[in-house]
Amino acid sequence: MIRASLYITGCTTRNRLRVRLRRLREPRYLIGAVVGSAYLYFSIFAGRRGRARPDRRAPFELLSAWQAIGTSLGGIFVLIVALLAWILPVKSRLLEFSQAETVFLFPAPVSHRELLLHRLVRSQVGSLITAILMGIVLAPTAGVGRLPVALGMWALFVTIRVYFAGVALTRGQFASPRPSARLAAWIPVGLLTAGAIILAAAIRRQVMLQPVASASDLMVRLAGATASGWPSVVLWPFTAVLRPQLATSVASFVQAMAGSLAVLAVVMVWMLANDAAFAVAAGEPAEQRAGDARSRKPAVRVRQIGPPLALSGRAEWAILWKNAMQTFRAVNVSMKRIVGPAVAVLVGMSGAAAGMAANQTRGPAGFIAAAGFVVAATAVVFGPLLMRLDLRSDFEHLDLLKTWPLRPADLIRGEMAWPTAFVTAIAWAGILCTALFSGPAMPATRFANRWVFALSAGFAAPALIAAQYTVQNALALFFPAWVSLGNQRTRGIDAMGQRLIMLAAILLVLVLFAVPGAIAGGVVWFVLRAFIGAAAYVPAAVLFAGVVLTEVLVATELLGPAFERMDLTSVERGE
Amino acid sequence: MPIAVEHFGRSYGNVKAVDDLSFDVAAGEIVGLIGPNGAGKTTTLRSLAGILLPTTGRIQVDGFDLAANPIEAKRRLAFMPDEPHLFEYLTVEEHLRLIARLYTVEDFDRRAATLLDELELKGKERQLPGELSRGMRQKVVIACGLVRQASVLLFDEPLTGLDPLGIRRMRETIVARGRAGAAILVSSHLLHLVEEICTRVIIMDHGKKIADGTVSELASRADLAAAGSSLEQIFLHVTGNK
Repeated sequence: MIRASLYITGCTTRNRLRVRLRRLREPRYLIGAVVGSAYLYFSIFAGRRGRARPDRRAPFELLSAWQAIGTSLGGIFVLIVALLAWILPVKSRLLEFSQAETVFLFPAPVSHRELLLHRLVRSQVGSLITAILMGIVLAPTAGVGRLPVALGMWALFVTIRVYFAGVALTRGQFASPRPSARLAAWIPVGLLTAGAIILAAAIRRQVMLQPVASASDLMVRLAGATASGWPSVVLWPFTAVLRPQLATSVASFVQAMAGSLAVLAVVMVWMLANDAAFAVAAGEPAEQRAGDARSRKPAVRVRQIGPPLALSGRAEWAILWKNAMQTFRAVNVSMKRIVGPAVAVLVGMSGAAAGMAANQTRGPAGFIAAAGFVVAATAVVFGPLLMRLDLRSDFEHLDLLKTWPLRPADLIRGEMAWPTAFVTAIAWAGILCTALFSGPAMPATRFANRWVFALSAGFAAPALIAAQYTVQNALALFFPAWVSLGNQRTRGIDAMGQRLIMLAAILLVLVLFAVPGAIAGGVVWFVLRAFIGAAAYVPAAVLFAGVVLTEVLVATELLGPAFERMDLTSVERGE
Repeated sequence: MPIAVEHFGRSYGNVKAVDDLSFDVAAGEIVGLIGPNGAGKTTTLRSLAGILLPTTGRIQVDGFDLAANPIEAKRRLAFMPDEPHLFEYLTVEEHLRLIARLYTVEDFDRRAATLLDELELKGKERQLPGELSRGMRQKVVIACGLVRQASVLLFDEPLTGLDPLGIRRMRETIVARGRAGAAILVSSHLLHLVEEICTRVIIMDHGKKIADGTVSELASRADLAAAGSSLEQIFLHVTGNK
């Protein structure tokens, strides 16, 4: 089976490469490839030429200084992640078989263990490429000196993959009809919990000795608590997977790598030993899956979310409704479950803010206000990158969308509307939180001023978010082969170059989008500030939002022809 | 003419999938589009549906040029693909409502109820695609196509995944729509179905039209006299698999 897996992996990699090379006949993809190759070249070889890479000794010294503390802290972090994997509903990519794998391999005369090993083999190309890229980026040395870091990262990635698969498989054993299997499934949970208790007790003892003076003091004490005795034994497997990346010599690397591979071997044996729960963990029973094309049966309860879609009205609203339904059903919640708690949280936040103002508890209020600001800023900056329920995710249904009798501009706006509204709601929640708690946190700032800034930010946020969605969707339309379809991620040097180009393009286009609005808003603010003071920010923000949203409207109209011309054969499809 | 295809061609890179294809489909006509695998049937249907852009030629739907006036053209046609791609988190009823909204369907409730009954989807209105069998999902796709009063119906392998009763009902549905005046183009490998329900047949091979006419017209052609009188015999003869 391993040979068959290697054959599938080899052929797939070779043919994927061919497709990507063929894609380079189009200038837009060729440019992406040139940029990606240039980036790789300068990243790898810059150090040898001795100009782009600065002095490398400083990071080495830093690395040595951090080696003791860093591995301990990293080990604690890995232990926490390992524990969380049991608590959170984490899925294992190793158990996600493609439709082709289900159809061809499940009915084949191969054992579950062989299927698991097959998935592991198939994941190696991705793991290796990611490890090499991380080696290039993270290693403090140039050239082949990056190899140890890349190898260490590879071992870490494989261990993580196997561990998560082991957790998913062992979870399946909890429901086993055999008491001995159920009991055996609890052993790793028990060991992890016992280890966590030993560590927690050691850390508690260290911290209780005397109050923590600073953050670095805390780190040193955490490292000290886990450096010897039982805590160090407990933490060893979790630090072992990190040591190769931090090794400073060949000898220490070989030693560290041996430890890391030993951990991988143990985790692998544990995962394969739980293969009895394969059918449960991998989804439906193998026999059913093989003969059934329904590979993604959603385990959600259908709830009525809001009123049904009206049978007449603008097309954009219909698309917005469709995407909203997708979101609510995907997270399996009803409107009632959202609105009630949201109102309760709002009332609670207002009460808490009032209470903090009365008690002059500035510290916690400042923390919450800052957290709110971070949430709002993250939503505005990263929201459109992360929330992809627009044309990018609907590429899977492009065949269907193209048959609809809609103006492409209406369709694009409709696709953008829901994620824009969703991300805006998150940004507004953050802004509201900041405005409420900035009162007790900054009592010197006038009430009116705080709310003027909040209102201004509230007006500007949706415009900035909509502008980003416009840019993201425009790039998807012009470079469809670079868009991830469903669960698939776009890969290849041209895709890497494309990400760099996209990042630069997004920033540039956003600036271009914002400049006219900023100028118009600036003029209004300048004229009105003499009359209404800080309140002038509000009409300035309204005008800024108005100008940017008008630009968005115009841009989506201009994108229409690109949608019509778009060739579906450019979109890379998964198995 | 509801469907008018003139010198239509479509290439994928250097490969010509369809080359210089011309044909018409009149109102009330049910035309079977048949051919071996890779003949260009699906490319033709997808181009007619507005999914793929023609490399050459012109396609008109109810007098509207698909390239110049795509919205009006698309409003008049319904495409039912062979692969039932549905929105994972919309129920059967919500799919129909969405289509009704996008195509401005009047008398939706009555039409939807009739269709759900006709396609044996009654009781499944509030189910998600993931909870349906492949055949049922195929029926949802067909229901989405038929819920509106389209004058042009395009079926790509409409019987895939259907059970025997579903196949019979589907056959009756296609014939009934044809009698009601719709121009219908059916692509299928089931030659007995095509022979039974289609008023005319177009045979394609290697992206070109190699025969066009009723089964009796084709059987009476001088060059096909030796082929036999059934569509299967004619098909095998013209595609060189005698």
